Amino acid sequence: MTMALPWRMAWRIARRDLSARLRGLRLLLACLFLGVGMLAAIGTLTGSIERELTLRGREILGGDIEVRVWQRGLSPQETAFMPQFGRTSTGYRMQAIAVNGEASAPIALKAVDANWPMVGRLVLQDGRRVGAPGDGAIYLSKGTAERLEVRPGGTVTVGGAPLKVGGIIASEPEMLAEGFNLGNVAIVSRAMPERAGLTSPGAMFQTKTRVLLPSGADPKAATEAIEAAFPSAGFEFRTRDNAASGTERFVSRMGEFLILVGLAALVIAGIGIGGGMSSYLEARRGSVATLKVLGATSGDIARIYLLQIGAAALAGSMAGLAAGVLVTPLMGRLLEGLLPITPGFALDAGALAMASAYGLTVALVFSAPPLLRARGYPAMALMRARISPLTVSARDLALPVGGGLLLLAALVLLTASNPKLSALFLTGAVGMLGLLALLGIAICLAAARLPRPRDPVLRAGLANLYRPSAQTGALVTALGFGLSTFVLLAALQTSLENNILARVPDRAPDYFVIDVPKDREAEFRAVVARTTPEAEVQTIPAMRARILAFGPQGAMTQVNTLDLENLPDNAWALRGERGITYQAELPRGNEVVRGKWWPPNWEGEPLVSVEDQLAEAIELKVGDMLTIGVLGVERSARVASIRRIDWQDMGFNNVLVFSPNTLRDAPHNLAATIELPPETASRGLLGQLVKTFPATSVIETGGLLREARVLLGQMSTAILAAASVTVLAGLAVLLGAIAAARASRLYDNVILRVLGASRRQLLMMQLTEYGLLAMMLSGVALLLGSGIAWAVMTQVFKFDWLPNWPRVIIVLFSGTTLIAVCALAGSLPLLRVKPAQALRVI
Amino acid sequence: MTTPPSDPVIAARGLTLTLGEGSGAVEILRGIDLLVPRGQILALLGPSGSGKSSLMAVLSGLERASAGALIVEGQDFAAMDEDALAQSRRGRIGLVLQAFHLLPTMTALENVATPMELAGMDKAEDRAAAELEAVGLAHRMGHYPVQLSGGEQQRVAIARAIAPRPVLIFADEPTGNLDAATGEAILDLLLARRAETGATLVTITHDAALAARCERIVTLADGRIANDTLLA
Repeated sequence: MTMALPWRMAWRIARRDLSARLRGLRLLLACLFLGVGMLAAIGTLTGSIERELTLRGREILGGDIEVRVWQRGLSPQETAFMPQFGRTSTGYRMQAIAVNGEASAPIALKAVDANWPMVGRLVLQDGRRVGAPGDGAIYLSKGTAERLEVRPGGTVTVGGAPLKVGGIIASEPEMLAEGFNLGNVAIVSRAMPERAGLTSPGAMFQTKTRVLLPSGADPKAATEAIEAAFPSAGFEFRTRDNAASGTERFVSRMGEFLILVGLAALVIAGIGIGGGMSSYLEARRGSVATLKVLGATSGDIARIYLLQIGAAALAGSMAGLAAGVLVTPLMGRLLEGLLPITPGFALDAGALAMASAYGLTVALVFSAPPLLRARGYPAMALMRARISPLTVSARDLALPVGGGLLLLAALVLLTASNPKLSALFLTGAVGMLGLLALLGIAICLAAARLPRPRDPVLRAGLANLYRPSAQTGALVTALGFGLSTFVLLAALQTSLENNILARVPDRAPDYFVIDVPKDREAEFRAVVARTTPEAEVQTIPAMRARILAFGPQGAMTQVNTLDLENLPDNAWALRGERGITYQAELPRGNEVVRGKWWPPNWEGEPLVSVEDQLAEAIELKVGDMLTIGVLGVERSARVASIRRIDWQDMGFNNVLVFSPNTLRDAPHNLAATIELPPETASRGLLGQLVKTFPATSVIETGGLLREARVLLGQMSTAILAAASVTVLAGLAVLLGAIAAARASRLYDNVILRVLGASRRQLLMMQLTEYGLLAMMLSGVALLLGSGIAWAVMTQVFKFDWLPNWPRVIIVLFSGTTLIAVCALAGSLPLLRVKPAQALRVI
Repeated sequence: MTTPPSDPVIAARGLTLTLGEGSGAVEILRGIDLLVPRGQILALLGPSGSGKSSLMAVLSGLERASAGALIVEGQDFAAMDEDALAQSRRGRIGLVLQAFHLLPTMTALENVATPMELAGMDKAEDRAAAELEAVGLAHRMGHYPVQLSGGEQQRVAIARAIAPRPVLIFADEPTGNLDAATGEAILDLLLARRAETGATLVTITHDAALAARCERIVTLADGRIANDTLLA
């Protein structure tokens, strides 16, 4: 049995054989630097944001616990109970409209008491750090003030009450904890909504009480005590530990998606690593043979060069990690508008460990084939001319390549919050790479069968695409992946945008109206009809409730026993309060798929109709029971039917619709939609509604769409920037391929020059080769990228296929031009070689 | 040769080497029988294509014979795979090649130390330094091959071959790439170093002067031994 060279000795020989300038390993270093750097940056950025959100929980929440309830204030008993835990601050949150003359703006009205803010300070634009505004005053956001054309000292009206503008908000504490709102925040004293009648029973508002606990007190214990004392109050709780859980979830998922994109880029870079390693080890054929002459076995050779590759991979990864950490604060600044928190410098050991694990695994997987080939270089290579090409058996490759790929997949799936989605992404990426590899082969075969140009220079350029050592296949795979990703993202983004622009205005109502008093419905309809008689008005009763229990009678599942952070996607309605309604007739755009709708004027047992995806997610059937908490009161109803909702209808779509007898006696207002026929002007409808119903909030869909477009645009830019790393990785592969082919290209160029070709002709040869390659890549990327985008848009999202083709083509053209320019730039030095000089060398 | 040696360092019987397959197969060695006593200096002669380099490759374990028996320093080379052959060379067989074949990324000292390190010998660098001094290159220990002249590179190669104190040294046209004066100096060095260690030397050469300094000349023709003459 042969004895292996000790690792220490193998490292000694490996270290000596490593050239000080690491020539030949630079591609490995560059690819790992890029790939690991990106993964480290993304991981560090998301990790530090999540950590900040957790560490600054108290600051974000404005306290240690928050108690929320809908559509009512706290009872005297509840108010008296809270202070035993610590300092408290209670206020209201609601939608409202601020008016200044003819101008109006939707606002997220935040009414606060004298104790607010308990953590942090409100900073106004004039530099003042203030607390709650005085009675009769309001602090406005910059956007609202501009829209209303009002300055500090001016007056606006909210809910019919005049308020003096006390200042413009520069920085607001608890902004993240307040969540998504329609309209900018506006801050008033707590008494204001009460006086203006905005908190009357049934109105759509939230009461929020925050409690600042003494040091060392357990927030969870406090919330449990409050829940135990008031079990039917309908309270929702948040603590400093999950102050911005929605934001955290978004950041986490976005980070995971970008990690997958970065991993794809790293795998592309792996193609470059494989090519670079092949060239490196091929150049060391003589050294390998010499070592074998001196007594090294093939196992010793494998150890020696594995150590070299490992050392270089480690160096490249470390450099990538350092760059990733250093670039994170810069990324935070660049993405300031999009990120909830701007993180500074941070060291996230977990993220860095994962990034280096990915990098080193990819390096191993792609270096294994050339390394296994190299260990087979025979000693006789020194004494005999070139021997036939060596192959590596699939069995030899199984462990390093197969094992490495399995390890990569395992790392991804085990660290994903949604393994199914990650598995889908991986499958898609592998499928795309496989398809591109096949296309690469097909392109080579097709190029070989094209009619041979008469011009020898052009002929040589075309032949370079399919000559035996050509890397066309690897380039199509590596560059094609990056370009296809670009096309895919551009097509998806523009298609989504056009769907929003083109379809949503057609289908969505022009106005949503909240808090129409129930007893003034006729008056409301009359105001609309007077201003815009063509308008179509729909009203529904609007309440908020929480699902408390569900399931077969006698065996119901209590929602508070479930892990609400990890619910199936379609069971989102179990989390917190949501809009409910009651209806005598089946709502428009809904279809009963199981059970039956109740008859008109039903006065029997309370019934409920449940949306089909929610019912399926929680295994709810016709005949089961559902219990909700409305305004602190529990109500139960039997499931009479399961409904399918056409969500694209964009009207009122409620997952829970009750029979009228269940809820009609509960205090509530109405919500309304107003649809205008196309090309119909609103003729001051908004102004009339605001004047007649000051406590009502009117939301224009147009404004929402504008905000959605801006957000979509920002997210798309961030994702496209991340995806550009895949193109950079592809460029690394391209430059590696050019370097690997340098000797043979130099030979060709020199011989052609000797035969009389001019530099211009040689340039044409390069242009032919890279021009053809770029054209083919564009075609492949356009087909593949837009094909996948079409499938995602129409089959997954069920939207219309509406890409903006000029923008898609511009994105594709930019990427392809960059590739062609880099290819030519990499090849230009070969044109400057003097034939006589070169002939002495080759 | 009259009496077969009792303890030959090389014992080859019926060695055959065929390269290629099917209709492209070429028989390079055709049934070579050869016994080489310890300490002998043997020259392999013959025209180009006669099989000299291939015979040396088989005898040194660089290539496996297609058929026949081969015992080298008590080891059955015919029964070994490539890795086992490589291991067998460690510390036992030194090779000096026409094109020197030094490791380009290692210094002279490191080149000489490498085979001893592969063989697991202690103080490899100290022994390498001593061997380089013995070949007159003490002042070039830290130089890379590209910084050495042809003669200096071949000296390093000789030092590398001899430093582990092998029982067998194979030299394939050791002066083939050198001018006459340098070649002569190299020959003197090779033979002097061999004499100090007592190793058996098998050398391929077209150099009549070197052949004349050997104890035995084996002439190959067309893959067979055509002549086997003892000179001393």
